[in-house]
Amino acid sequence: MRDLLNNKNFRWALAAVIVVVGIIVAVTDPVRFQILITSLSEGSFYALAALGIGLLFGVLRLVNFAYGDWVMLGGYALIVPSAAVTSTLLIGSFFPALVVICIVGFTIIIALLSEATVFRPLRNTTPPTMMIASFALGYVLQNLIIMIYGGRPKSAGIFPELLQSIDLAEGVSVPLLKIVTIGVTAILLILLTLFLHRTSVGVQMRAAAEDFRMARMLGVRANLVIAMAFVISGSLASFVSLLYVSQLGIMTFRMGTPIIVFAFIATVIGGMGSLVGSVVGGMVVGVSSVVLKNILPDSIRGFSDAFVFAIVIAILLARPQGLVPAKSASERV
Amino acid sequence: MTEPLLHIDDITVHYSRLAAIRGVSISVNEGEIVCVVGPNGAGKSTTLLTVSGILNPTSGNVMFAGNRINGMRPENVARLGISQVPEGRHVFTALTVEENLRVGAAMRKDKAQVNKDVKWVMDLFPILAERRRQSAGKLSGGEQQMLVIARALLTNPKIMTIDEPSLGLAPNIVDRVYEVLTTLRKERGLTLLIVEQSSERALKAADRIYVLRSGQIQLEGSAADLQDGEEVRKAYFGFSEGTEHLGEVEF
Repeated sequence: MRDLLNNKNFRWALAAVIVVVGIIVAVTDPVRFQILITSLSEGSFYALAALGIGLLFGVLRLVNFAYGDWVMLGGYALIVPSAAVTSTLLIGSFFPALVVICIVGFTIIIALLSEATVFRPLRNTTPPTMMIASFALGYVLQNLIIMIYGGRPKSAGIFPELLQSIDLAEGVSVPLLKIVTIGVTAILLILLTLFLHRTSVGVQMRAAAEDFRMARMLGVRANLVIAMAFVISGSLASFVSLLYVSQLGIMTFRMGTPIIVFAFIATVIGGMGSLVGSVVGGMVVGVSSVVLKNILPDSIRGFSDAFVFAIVIAILLARPQGLVPAKSASERV
Repeated sequence: MTEPLLHIDDITVHYSRLAAIRGVSISVNEGEIVCVVGPNGAGKSTTLLTVSGILNPTSGNVMFAGNRINGMRPENVARLGISQVPEGRHVFTALTVEENLRVGAAMRKDKAQVNKDVKWVMDLFPILAERRRQSAGKLSGGEQQMLVIARALLTNPKIMTIDEPSLGLAPNIVDRVYEVLTTLRKERGLTLLIVEQSSERALKAADRIYVLRSGQIQLEGSAADLQDGEEVRKAYFGFSEGTEHLGEVEF
């Protein structure tokens, strides 16, 4: 079985069969079709989050647990900094396109500041050291938010029109946000792919991700490539943030934790450092979580996450290196 | 005599507390081919990695065109015009052949000349033109060696350092590699610092030779003077010291 799973063609064929069967099963029934859209949307959400982690790991061997807190900060930037019980929209009250631009810019600045103050000085240490530092950074950011905004949950209703349901077909009605989530992810994936393959910096980044030392010996600037990775990771975090807040309309200083846990698991089952893997892993986690919530009997539905993790364990037992492993994991300089 | 292009001046390099090379001095004049030969573990790669700025000498200096370059970042050393082809080739297997070449040229601003140079290296190594869209990981060992030399050439180097170009390659491929290297010197005036285990090959290609063993220079001289090979062998194996064996790693 494992030999078969290690065959690349077999894996793609298997994936294709699962996707095709899934779609056929789904489109024959309105309820199932609704579940399909919801699960794809959830999968897209985790794929985005996982990409932000996978990219930094690929370039820097940094497992960035502060990523969830970048997402959290992106959310809090929407409202006026105050500890008041009722929150007032700040950036969130702007024109929608401006909201997106401001939050993306804000999160990129947070990501670059994290790099400059924490990760750059630690660049020549070991990956575990950087990972612990990212935990520490995450706690600092959370406590910063508690100091400024207080520890109570904050409401932030942005893009209310996204929560309206639209009819996709006879009897199939889903909130617009689900479609938007899938669309945003697809667009960001295409942009990222174009950047990595069509631009000089993108190609340099892929080279550095495989063999950083060799890339530097060819004149690739370490600081540029790493800063670029933080910029991309930060902007992905901002979209995760916007989608999350649009969905729930409420924020807490701990909101990053479940996101990072699922996204991190997604990068691991996808294959650490592989971007395709991050997307595949995110989809597996998101889709299985939604599908299980819908098909499990009522009595155990509350434990659906346990079943998701069981699937994760099963995947890791079959393929410890992940579903789509990265080409190289050479040492950093 | 004019100032050498590259002057490694009495450098000592430590891996933690272990000295890998001690007081090594090598100079390379413009347009020269200099070979450093020595057994496994002699400190050859350490020397080249120090030139590239990957390692820092604990004492001594590396001078390039009269300027001190030790302590500089590897990317800035590369930008001065020192290109290294490290041991083990290090192609970017996730990239296509052409993308590998583009990474070599990434730091250059003269885009028109880059396009000409890409054409030029593809003429030099036609196999790269044939495989330009293929993943570099699919190339054979010899093809990968050609790719990394071509890639290093695209940085437009003043001096190229090559670590064991013949390692793991069939003899006819090695001949081809050396043929290209000597042509490059002849036609482009490229300066070369080559490190090899096999002294025979080095004696044929080089203008001057250094023998490095146990982290120290044992012998230096012009290839013509050392042609019969006896002196080189003595320095290489150091058989006056009875405890040492051929090619033994000795730090």
